[in-house]
Amino acid sequence: MAVSNSSRVTYEATIERIFQHNLDTRSFFLRLLSDQQLTWKAGQFLSLLLPIAGETLIRPYSIASSPEEGNLLEICLNLVPAGPGSHYLFARTVGETLRFTGPWGTFVFDQPPPAECVFIADGTGIAPIRPMIRRALASGRQPPLQLLYSALQGADLLYRQDWEAYAQTCSWFSFTPLLSNPPSGWSGLPDSLAEYVERRYVSEDSDRSRHFYICGVGQQVTQLRDLLRRAGYQRRAVQYEKW
Amino acid sequence: MAKLRILYETGEPEKVIEFDPAQAPFQHDGQPGSILDVMLGHGVDLEHACGGNCACTTCHVIVKSSMAHLSENSETEDDLLDKAPGLTPTSRLGCQAVIEDSEDGEVVVLVPRYTINQQV
Ligand SMILES: Cc1cc2nc3c(=O)[nH]c(=O)nc-3n(C[C@H](O)[C@H](O)[C@H](O)COP(=O)(O)OP(=O)(O)OC[C@H]3O[C@@H](n4cnc5c(N)ncnc54)[C@H](O)[C@@H]3O)c2cc1C
Ligand code: FES
Repeated sequence: MAVSNSSRVTYEATIERIFQHNLDTRSFFLRLLSDQQLTWKAGQFLSLLLPIAGETLIRPYSIASSPEEGNLLEICLNLVPAGPGSHYLFARTVGETLRFTGPWGTFVFDQPPPAECVFIADGTGIAPIRPMIRRALASGRQPPLQLLYSALQGADLLYRQDWEAYAQTCSWFSFTPLLSNPPSGWSGLPDSLAEYVERRYVSEDSDRSRHFYICGVGQQVTQLRDLLRRAGYQRRAVQYEKW
Repeated sequence: MAKLRILYETGEPEKVIEFDPAQAPFQHDGQPGSILDVMLGHGVDLEHACGGNCACTTCHVIVKSSMAHLSENSETEDDLLDKAPGLTPTSRLGCQAVIEDSEDGEVVVLVPRYTINQQV
């Protein structure tokens, strides 16, 4: 088995709090040990080094808190059936220590672009998007910001109250939830994510100046990327992270 | 048997790995049979901060010969390479470039001095 002789910095943090969002999704709040400092950009991730079955498994998790919040880092994850990394983390308790490297990743939102921004997240894919939106909102009035957030059911729409509150208080922010398994009586949109994106950002108008930030698991992310780029959006205006 | 020769921009001595592509994966990170998989599986280190998930660029290598023996770049790999420091026309991500066959020649890669893209 490979041995890492890397000289990169390894951080250690204590699990200060665990928040259960729903049946299979938790946030872990990690307090960096003593003198360590971490600076990162909204959208970046940590690579957790998990000691499992005599090996060190690397599992990346996006930082769901904002850089401005200092050294209490939030990661937010769901349990993956038979997944060793997520099961290891779900067995951790407050006070235990985790090791990681970082920050990593080029899916970042630093300066808001001078155009409408559309954030598209599926499930826990909201994690890197959350600090991006908070950053965009903090920068003051600007072109419209939209969050299109899909999940299986209502309880899987994470940080929902925040999104609804932002939509109430910031006239330039809108929140569109989509449920793939809606309860009867759900008054939201019936479309799938791809159908909605196709209709709203491709067929409905010819504006191709928007910027997109997409995050989720699997092929749906690259399918949305392809749909938007084929429709004429600039390659670099369609940023994404596929898990 | 296929052959992978690894050169280092730091001047570290080169390494050669002979392997049977049909035996891949050799360990658990990156695409099975990728440059990263072959290296880690034969005890040769290569940065792979995201665990071979095509999300960080730290596994960036420059292919010096036999590019044709590697799998084609996906758009996701190209998008990420676009942000890699020191990008060259033959740059690849070690975790994504699969050595498909190098019976008639070895694949030669150069590990750049700075593979870490910690702050974009
Ligand atoms: C850059 C990056 C950032 C990430 N950030 C997060 C994050 O903030 N929160 C998070 O929950 N996960 C995140 N992931 C996924 C995470 O790293 C692990 O892949 C995930 O927890 C599964 O690991 P495992 O060992 O339990 O299962 P594995 O056996 O490694 O799981 C394998 C399969 O699960 C799929 N998968 C990955 N993530 C999920 C998921 N969340 N739900 C369902 N299936 C999944 C993978 O595509 C893979 O096919 C991120 C991945 C990357 C590449
Ligand atoms: S290891 Fe992260 S992109 Fe290859």
